[in-house]
Amino acid sequence: MNIIVCVKQVPSTNEVRLDPETHTIIRDGRQSVINPFDTYGLEEAVQIKERLGGKVTVLSMGIPATERLLRDAMSRGADEGVLLTDRAFAGADTLATSYALSLGVKQIGDYDLIICGKMAVDGDTAQIGPELAETLGLPHIADVKKILSVDETSLTCLKITDEGEQELQVPLPALITVLKDINMPRLPSITGVEFSLTAPCTCFSAQQLEADTGRTGLNGSPTQVVRTFTPERGGEAQEIAGSLEEQAAKILEIIKG
Amino acid sequence: MNSNPLIKTMSEEFADYLRDESRTVGQAESISFPKTPEELTDILKSLAAQGAAVTVQGGRTGLAAAAVPKAGHILNLTRMNQVTGLRRDEAGRFYVRTQPGMILSQLRKMLESRKFPAEQVEAWDDGSKAVLTELARAPEQFFSPDPTESSATIGGMIACNASGARSYLYGPVRPYITMLKIALIDGDTITVTRGTQRTQGRRLCLTTDSGRQICCDLPTYIMPHTKNASGYYIEDDMDVIDVFIGSDGTLGVIYEAELALLPLPQIIWGVSCFFANEDQAVQMVKAVRQELRQIAAIEFFDRDALAILRRQREESTAFSGLPAVPDGVDSAIYLEIHDEKEEDAYQRLFAVGRLMESVGGDRNHSWVARTAADRDRLVFFRHAVPESVNMLIDQRKKVEPTITKLGTDMSVPDRELERIMAMYRRMLSERGLQSAIWGHIGNNHLHVNILPRSAADQAAGKELYKEWAAQVSAMGGAVSAEHGVGKLKAPFLEIMYGSDHLAEMARLKKAFDPDFRLGRDNLFAAARFAGEGDQQ
Amino acid sequence: MSGLVIDKQKCIGCGLCVAACPASALTLADDVAQVEQAACVLCGMCVDSCPEGAIAIVKESTGDTRDYHGVWVFAEQNQGRPLPVAFELTAKGRQLADELSAPLTVLLAGGPGVAKEAQSLIAAGADRVLVGEDPKLAVNLEENYAVWLDQVVREGKPEILLFGATGFGRSLAPKLAARWQTGLTADCTVLEIHKESGLLYQTRPAFGGNLMATIYTPSHRPQMATVRPGVMPYPVLDESRRGEILSQPFPQDFQALVRLLQQRRIQAETIADAELIVAVGRGIGNAKNVALARQLAEKLGAALGCTRPLVDTGWCEYKHQVGQTGCAVAPKVYLALGISGAIQHLAGIAGAQTVIAVNSDPEAPIFAQAQYKIVGDCLDVLKALLAQV
Repeated sequence: MNIIVCVKQVPSTNEVRLDPETHTIIRDGRQSVINPFDTYGLEEAVQIKERLGGKVTVLSMGIPATERLLRDAMSRGADEGVLLTDRAFAGADTLATSYALSLGVKQIGDYDLIICGKMAVDGDTAQIGPELAETLGLPHIADVKKILSVDETSLTCLKITDEGEQELQVPLPALITVLKDINMPRLPSITGVEFSLTAPCTCFSAQQLEADTGRTGLNGSPTQVVRTFTPERGGEAQEIAGSLEEQAAKILEIIKG
Repeated sequence: MNSNPLIKTMSEEFADYLRDESRTVGQAESISFPKTPEELTDILKSLAAQGAAVTVQGGRTGLAAAAVPKAGHILNLTRMNQVTGLRRDEAGRFYVRTQPGMILSQLRKMLESRKFPAEQVEAWDDGSKAVLTELARAPEQFFSPDPTESSATIGGMIACNASGARSYLYGPVRPYITMLKIALIDGDTITVTRGTQRTQGRRLCLTTDSGRQICCDLPTYIMPHTKNASGYYIEDDMDVIDVFIGSDGTLGVIYEAELALLPLPQIIWGVSCFFANEDQAVQMVKAVRQELRQIAAIEFFDRDALAILRRQREESTAFSGLPAVPDGVDSAIYLEIHDEKEEDAYQRLFAVGRLMESVGGDRNHSWVARTAADRDRLVFFRHAVPESVNMLIDQRKKVEPTITKLGTDMSVPDRELERIMAMYRRMLSERGLQSAIWGHIGNNHLHVNILPRSAADQAAGKELYKEWAAQVSAMGGAVSAEHGVGKLKAPFLEIMYGSDHLAEMARLKKAFDPDFRLGRDNLFAAARFAGEGDQQ
Repeated sequence: MSGLVIDKQKCIGCGLCVAACPASALTLADDVAQVEQAACVLCGMCVDSCPEGAIAIVKESTGDTRDYHGVWVFAEQNQGRPLPVAFELTAKGRQLADELSAPLTVLLAGGPGVAKEAQSLIAAGADRVLVGEDPKLAVNLEENYAVWLDQVVREGKPEILLFGATGFGRSLAPKLAARWQTGLTADCTVLEIHKESGLLYQTRPAFGGNLMATIYTPSHRPQMATVRPGVMPYPVLDESRRGEILSQPFPQDFQALVRLLQQRRIQAETIADAELIVAVGRGIGNAKNVALARQLAEKLGAALGCTRPLVDTGWCEYKHQVGQTGCAVAPKVYLALGISGAIQHLAGIAGAQTVIAVNSDPEAPIFAQAQYKIVGDCLDVLKALLAQV
């Protein structure tokens, strides 16, 4: 059973720091980690591999420094890393990213299952999984809480929905996105860290992937950011005034939205 | 009787303030929550007129009951929790000034984000505001003491000279306190700044803000050469500020402090190493101490602590996020590597692996935390141990109300590590007591927690604790290494120093608090010394 | 040209962008920022860091958008009834359509019988409702919905297509965006028509809500967005409104790969998942009053939460404990009765959307984390609430 896990590099904290004089954002671009949701996908893949054999490949698109995160993933049980890195990939929105990732998946070739985290903590879009599946012509199941059974031909899982849960079955190859509840990711051992420093990690450029550069990076991104800003935070608590009856009525009104 | 509106009569609403994390419950007649130094001195003056005893409180996370009132008034400082300014010295070092009620975790958050509440910054002097811009642009700074309970207040941490795991490399709170503003029991105030005033040998003289001079002779004991938070810190020709740090709320009320910060190391990695038996773990500690530098913490968890964690993980949802301890392991050593360069950190990490193998361990049985999320999980793991033990004790208490947690806080010199471990094991097994041992083994400072199952166990545990105090003192150790003495460890302080030195400590206290009203029964029983000695 | 562009007139040479750049692509020369395009990775950090708004990422427009017209809303339903967000979006869609002087079409798909709900969407503002009625659309399976939507959207060519940012909407919409190779903005909280360009400006939170971003899709169609439920106002239904209801059949030969074996409806059972929590602290006074709070929680369909001291004293069971050593919760509303707000407790309610705090102490720390507060006896408020539910 060969599994591809897509991982994204995200800033280690969601705190936005402001310069006190200019009130602009200061971000330490160098502090980045694997998107926490993706670590659950990785753990799930490694657990499946430990049961069924095969190999786990971690796939990412990003700047060359992202290799460090792929190696981190390999310290936690992945066997190989594939990094798509090229200026032609820069400035990508979710559509252009999923196109590039689809080329990476085709480059890896032999796979049965693709696992993505439910979403990335920086973008919160949750769109890469479904868009990647569609680009590859695969079915997808989002928000998987538990894999009930899996072999090389099909996968049965529990998906969390807004109303409850669905038990779904899909023939492989397919793509799933996983929730945080699905497992408890392991910490790497010293041995794992040692392995990861020399484990195979391959970089591919747009040309090596024979990418249509009209579909990658900024050029391939239908959406564009007009502006970003930090939201105003609600200040003091609003006092609920009036008689006890009025106060109670107001509370019930807030509760009922 | 309380004409001062800031002083509130005790009621059910304030019942929580009668206890702290030591789980002992006291009593009091009134309570106040001053928000400003003016309110604080106003309250102290009113209380002076009444002659009431005063117990100072912070986050009530202490384990020695120093914040548990015996009688009189509770002076709770948690609402004096503002950052009052910043400073940078010529060498580029940053300092932050806070009020005593500042909570450690909140201070950390502010330092990490370099964001301070706007209304507080508004009140800063121009120098502090300028430093804020420098701080925002500088590499991240941190306040190194890291007691397990990060909801501790800065005032409480100074009062007991708190430490934490990282004190193995960075030392306790003490050296990082560079200025204190202290209100005395009568409402007078003093300001002490590190490096500006020393004692003459063992003679202390200082002038209060109202111009009054206080002079007294300091105790004559020699402190142990180990991690220590037992009684007053006393040396010849010492910095005056050190008399107040670790004084357990007995000399004055700290209402502002300046803390020295350190640049946060580029690399902070945690490594948990698991071993098949305790001897391997102890040999690992000795090897790491000898072979490796830049290790910030060396912590230990024994088999009983790991067993409690394993059970908690299964039984309680709050702990289900704990990583699973590998099967077949018996003890754990947690190390923290603080480095500037990644290459150096990897060298050290692989050296840890080799040392594990050299003492008979398996380096596969290790957890390496190189990311913030992984570090948080190891922190959670470490903190889950005392939390779980508290929950266990609470359960037992429901069956047998006399049961309380009996946790030691003693340290010994390096050479005694194996001896003290053997002694703990032998004596616990002789008395047939259940226990869990964890703590700062790098400083030979273990928290031995006796887990009584019955009133008889409780009594036997107490007795054992006393015997250990004597043994540890004989080894040249300290009866309290970081929690402070408070009320619970006062008998051990006497074992450690003897009654003559205790009387000397009482004399020092009396110079600042003639009627023994402040922090009554912390360090020593007030009733024994209230009449002795003369104020000069 | 495409890439990072620095407006040399606006640049004040402060150097913040140079410090923010993770790729070392920016330098200062003659007190003006310069970019080395080959090194720039278009991460946008410098754009955020610039106090003068002098840096932008620009790209040339391509693509033909002329054939696309009208605003469309996908109305998600559950068991045949449109979700509240369907009405919210219909009302918002109405407003956008009016600004564009374009018609509003609502898409309603579901199992047999769903068509009878079409009129309510017209009452909410739709000019036209396209209805897909088929047993295969009775359950939420992305593949089936995608086939039906693909057919109607390719025919109808809307310029704007909105989905509710529900679990299903956020899985279905990106599948379609990839199929149509167009832009999709997730989980928007503000939608506006830009006056000059007539484009849809979509504003959404990112970085866990610490940053807002306004996004548009200049040259691909439809402009797609998922919109957070409960953000847009729910409309007053005008039953007198008239509109067109058209049936759009489901292609009979399509067979989905994902198969639904079972589905279960589940109400949140643990307080961690509860949408509404009535929580009590020491201020509640005694165990008898805790029972009153429990009663209120039951009547409101809420979960009961408590602070640690209440578990310590045995007034509440551990499973109700909220906070550092209990459970972290993230309800829509957290009603805190007699909770002073110890830091360990506050750590557990950081995820709550709205906190209503009732406490007799005006200085209680809980108020700092609350959106609404009552300074008073929580028992009185509790009794007044019980009298009204």
